[in-house]
Amino acid sequence: MAEAHPIPVEVQLHAGPFDPLALLAGGPSNTRTGGWCGALGLEAPAAEAHFIGRVRGTAATGGPLEALELEHYPGMTERQLQGLAQACAARHGVAAVLVAHRVGRARPGEALVLVAVAADRRGPAQRCGGELLEALKHEAPFWKREWSGGLGTWVEGNTPLG
Amino acid sequence: MSRAIGAAHGAEAGLTIQVRLFASLREHAGWDARRLALAAGTTPERVWRELGLGGGAIPATVRVAVNQAFASPHQPLAAGDELAFLPPISGG
Repeated sequence: MAEAHPIPVEVQLHAGPFDPLALLAGGPSNTRTGGWCGALGLEAPAAEAHFIGRVRGTAATGGPLEALELEHYPGMTERQLQGLAQACAARHGVAAVLVAHRVGRARPGEALVLVAVAADRRGPAQRCGGELLEALKHEAPFWKREWSGGLGTWVEGNTPLG
Repeated sequence: MSRAIGAAHGAEAGLTIQVRLFASLREHAGWDARRLALAAGTTPERVWRELGLGGGAIPATVRVAVNQAFASPHQPLAAGDELAFLPPISGG
């Protein structure tokens, strides 16, 4: 049996605001072509799927959201994200995955999550990205607390897929 | 029922673990980490009950992690384990 080559997966947790478009472009220090894929050592892939989630401006109660606090389990969160991304990438046969997630106190409009998938075809790229996003919402230990009207409320569960 | 948990500093035998709580569970309990001395064979389910973390058995919405991986609430714990109780996850 041929030895399986690990698929490049990068997981980042950001304690402060991050710019998902800058990450996709490869970051300020990236001098290679191909943006984030180039930074992972890939030639420009034929297909990429990107998802960016941002903090909404309204709390679950309907009131204005002042901030969203994201708690995580240091160590386990990174391991879960890496494992989920590796498994999803292998299932769909994609070339590379980047997951960036915010932690700490975020303000409305700031990026919460970026999932980027590179593949040879659009189908696997989009399917892997969608599946990984749903998996991390349920299987990676993050907890959200909405701050509205000066009160913090823990969010139990996820918003609908829509 | 004999108690399975003792204060870690008073343990003479058995095993010592660390228990961690997160988010709403941490705030309800008023602590985030504790070292505990346990009798051999103690499970996360029994730790939950004996710490009085609420509702008798572990609620269906609370997940267990041992050494930073999801685990069964009925898995016997080992010396040095890090046991965590995780309230409903809401990432992404």
